[in-house]
Amino acid sequence: MVGMEHAWVLPALPFGAFVLLMLAGRYLPRRGDLLAVGAMAASAVLFSFVLADLTDALAHGEFQGVFSGTDWLKFDTFHVRLGFYFDRLAAVMLAVVTYVGTLIFVYSMGYMKGDPRYGWFFAAMSLFAASMMTLVLADNLLLLYGAWEAVGFCSYLLIGFWHERRPAAEAAKKAFITTRIGDVGFLIGIVLLWREAGTFNLQEIFRFAQEGGYSTPYLTLAVLLLFAGAVGKSAQFPLHVWLPDAMEGPTPVSALIHAATMVVAGVYMVARTMPLFQEADPVALDVVTSLGLTTVVLSATIALVVRDVKRVIAYSTINSLGLMMVALGAGSVTAAMFYLFVHGFFKALLFLAAGNVLHATDRQTVDDLGGLARKMPLTAVAFGVGALAMAGLFPFAGFWAKDEILVAAREYHNQVAVAVLWVSVALAALYMGRLYTLVFTGQPRDRHVWEHAHEGPPIMVGPVLLLTLGAVVTGFLAFDQVGEALGLGGGIGQFVYLEEPHTFHMPWGEAIGSTLLVVASLGAAWAIWGGKGELAVQLGKRLQPLYLLLWNKYYMDDLYQWIVNRIVLAGGAVVAWFDRVVVNDTGVDGSAGLTALGGWLMRQLQTGKLPNYALAIATGAAVIGAVVLVSRM
Amino acid sequence: MRWDWSLLAPEYLLAGWAALMALLGLWGRLRAYWLGYVAAAGALASAATSLIWLGDRTAFGDLLAVDHYTTFFRVTFGLIAASVCLISAGYVERFLRHHGEYYAILVVSVIGATYMAAAQELLSAYIALELLSFSLYVLASYAKMDLRSNEGGLKYMLLGAFSSALFLYGLGLIYAVTKTTHYQGIAEALAGDLGGTKGLALLGLSLIVVGLGFKVSAVPFHMWAPDAYEGAPLPVTAFISAISKAAGFALFLKLMVQAFLPLHDDWSPLLASLATVTMLLGNLVAVHQRNIKRLLAYSSIGQVGYLLAGIAALSPETANAASAVLLHLAGYVISNLAAFACVTVYYNWTGKEDIYEYRGLAERAPFVALALSISLFSLAGMPLFAGFVTKFVLFQAIAEADLLWLAAVAVFASFVSLYYYLMVMRQMYLVEPETRERLGVAWPEYGLVAVLVVAIFVVGLGPQPLFNAAQEAASLVYQGAATFAALSP
Repeated sequence: MVGMEHAWVLPALPFGAFVLLMLAGRYLPRRGDLLAVGAMAASAVLFSFVLADLTDALAHGEFQGVFSGTDWLKFDTFHVRLGFYFDRLAAVMLAVVTYVGTLIFVYSMGYMKGDPRYGWFFAAMSLFAASMMTLVLADNLLLLYGAWEAVGFCSYLLIGFWHERRPAAEAAKKAFITTRIGDVGFLIGIVLLWREAGTFNLQEIFRFAQEGGYSTPYLTLAVLLLFAGAVGKSAQFPLHVWLPDAMEGPTPVSALIHAATMVVAGVYMVARTMPLFQEADPVALDVVTSLGLTTVVLSATIALVVRDVKRVIAYSTINSLGLMMVALGAGSVTAAMFYLFVHGFFKALLFLAAGNVLHATDRQTVDDLGGLARKMPLTAVAFGVGALAMAGLFPFAGFWAKDEILVAAREYHNQVAVAVLWVSVALAALYMGRLYTLVFTGQPRDRHVWEHAHEGPPIMVGPVLLLTLGAVVTGFLAFDQVGEALGLGGGIGQFVYLEEPHTFHMPWGEAIGSTLLVVASLGAAWAIWGGKGELAVQLGKRLQPLYLLLWNKYYMDDLYQWIVNRIVLAGGAVVAWFDRVVVNDTGVDGSAGLTALGGWLMRQLQTGKLPNYALAIATGAAVIGAVVLVSRM
Repeated sequence: MRWDWSLLAPEYLLAGWAALMALLGLWGRLRAYWLGYVAAAGALASAATSLIWLGDRTAFGDLLAVDHYTTFFRVTFGLIAASVCLISAGYVERFLRHHGEYYAILVVSVIGATYMAAAQELLSAYIALELLSFSLYVLASYAKMDLRSNEGGLKYMLLGAFSSALFLYGLGLIYAVTKTTHYQGIAEALAGDLGGTKGLALLGLSLIVVGLGFKVSAVPFHMWAPDAYEGAPLPVTAFISAISKAAGFALFLKLMVQAFLPLHDDWSPLLASLATVTMLLGNLVAVHQRNIKRLLAYSSIGQVGYLLAGIAALSPETANAASAVLLHLAGYVISNLAAFACVTVYYNWTGKEDIYEYRGLAERAPFVALALSISLFSLAGMPLFAGFVTKFVLFQAIAEADLLWLAAVAVFASFVSLYYYLMVMRQMYLVEPETRERLGVAWPEYGLVAVLVVAIFVVGLGPQPLFNAAQEAASLVYQGAATFAALSP
């Protein structure tokens, strides 16, 4: 029987596909894409069994968190045990990775068809899936960090998939470097936690912290450094700038890595280490909340003016990630993970539907699109559902999850957070309404493009429709009845929680209020950008300073560029001078020269003449004998 | 005293197999190419047979021990020989004559290597050592028409005879002092009151160290190695680099632990200084090499330096350093064989062995270039690869034995080694190739290379099973030895 102890097979399957594709991809039929898709689907099926085993164990009350692990290194005092830990938090995240991942893999068969590096695409995606599952299942910080870097590396490879195009190569580099800034903090945080506790194992570290093993300031510093990793990976202010540029990658990559899974790894990691955040000074969670709120405001406003379809969705992703962080800041793992779960579905849907548009028109900015609902009705419906889910309209998935976060913030008594979240609700509906209006309604702005547009092949439309279904129904997991029907033993509040489970009660205030607000915002979007969009142009002129501020993304890219140019590079020039003159000329060249000279001198001993060799042996023996004897006398 | 002759079954098998190879070479109708596979099967069968005594602790009289330590090395040597036979298959058919005898000698040499690890007393160890050495002398000069091969083989033999004489002299001195050639007896005698003969014992020990230092090519007894490596046929170079080091250290380690541990304080500084010059000279001179075989020769001298440092770090209290030496030995053997397999494949295609002739290999044969890079990274000790874990454990053991300075030298030497390994990779990946024509595919060799590369990653990512094996082997050597160490003044 397949059980939780087999959870390690989940990442092993796509990893096996990766190895096979790399080694023998050229000789496989269709470059081995079916192998990659099959491995991913097998992971999804296997996950269902593992999940069933988990719920079974939960029903019998015997769940302790299942390990499967081995001693990686053990000698003397240094002991590292690497293993997998399967619990409910991991289950929620894995559901997104395997189910949504499989659909995206299938979709890719259509989207990437004919690409010269088709096989490499599936190999890299498989490696990503394997690393992502390892990250989720890791029972210790060392393995988690390894997988964390591995998914970052895969992201780098896949953003730069079309590396012949300069923007793609630049974006890949930017993503890698920006997230790396956070990762440095993450690694230091891990080392700090390890130094005191003497273990990398998460559960043991939690226990150590709960027993008061860390002093509060020390632990606060450590968790804030952990959070720095999440800021980079989950594109939080001020390290969010890489995510919009990451849209240079192929659309399935955006859907899988930069919407459904990798970018929420930061959220997952914070949720996983929440026991530490709670032991630390409250200021740690305040930092999480503040950065989350800043991220929400920035992304939701910028999204109003961006003209690139995929980038609008990217900003909406940043917006969502900010919401999840706010939920975590309020200490509600339930709300954050619930949002993470439904977000995986509707955001992947938005990307794939946008991918259909790209595939059909080869255009990516709203200036060339418009009126596509008539040409691509299925895609239009799907995108509409995704947009409404993101906006949070009843009864779509986003509605339930977003309300959970509103409730969590209210119960946390954070008035600022509540106010900002309400603004965010209005803005999200506004920019999603704008995007839909501009792309699918009104008159086509480029007639030629419009005429050639057509619905995609079934292999691309199929996954989109399934995700559409997901974007509608996943939100109902809030209800205990739905959860029980699925065998989960209750709704999401009964399934994932930190301290005690809670049952979902309809928050009528938030529900009615947010619904009205969303409807109003959607109406406003239609009024502003619908038809010929004259109102939008007028508003843009009237509010030009604001418009420019948003259009330039609050000048943050420019600021960073300025910092890089003026401070990093200027500082670099000084360091470079120092490096050239002191380190290189004297230190490195000096020592390299010395090394080379030493090697050259010693090489002169190697004459090739037999008597010399024998002499060396005899001399060596004589010296050794003499030294040993003399030292004894 | 038990004389259970069945304990030697794996070696009977090897001896029989050697005879079979010679006969097949004389009268067989088998294509020379397939002889390599038959020989490899024999070596593997012997390794498999040795597993019968897994976990056993018994002895052939008081001459040879058959325990975990012996089994560890029987398996290691069997796998080395099998790998080298597979590497040889294509090469030997094309470039050498008298194929049957080639494999016969190769298989016989494994017997010598095995008894070096199994020996419980000095004379058996010496005979085993000579059995291995003579096989290697013949193999090194096997390319009869090649002057370099003759020169390398001759130098190897003459200097080998010289160092054997020193070893025997040392053996005689030890016998004179302790009145026995058995390791345990020696230890007992050395732990007792030696009176005025201690100097004599130390002299004998020094001469034995010189003899063994020659076999493992420690500086300054290393000079034969680059010449023999360069001259010998490529698969033989691979064989010498793997088995002569592994067998030499099998004997060295056991001897130092079981016989000479009571004198630990006297020989530890001596070996530490030998290790230092070996690490530094091997790695520094490697930087200047243009021929890949010579480069690998010097690189393996550097590796020997790390292992010697591990021996210097042996201590009466813990078996950590001993198991670390075994672990690094295994890691080195795997990585080095993988590198030589790649070099041989390239030589079979092009007949080239200069480093600059590897330029652009990544485009012409991506698999070989990648595998060679992986094995070189592993030799350099980069994370993910076997070499990292084994070096890490070894250096840690050295540092814990209060030889922090020696560990620092080892780390420095490792940095230098990265430089010349990267030089090879630079040629393969960054320099434009002469032609863009793709080189062929050599499936059997590719299979072997793939297995070795996988092994590099397995050890690099999950070293615990190998580590356990090394630890058990080392602890068995220590049992018994520890009791005498306690008697030590």
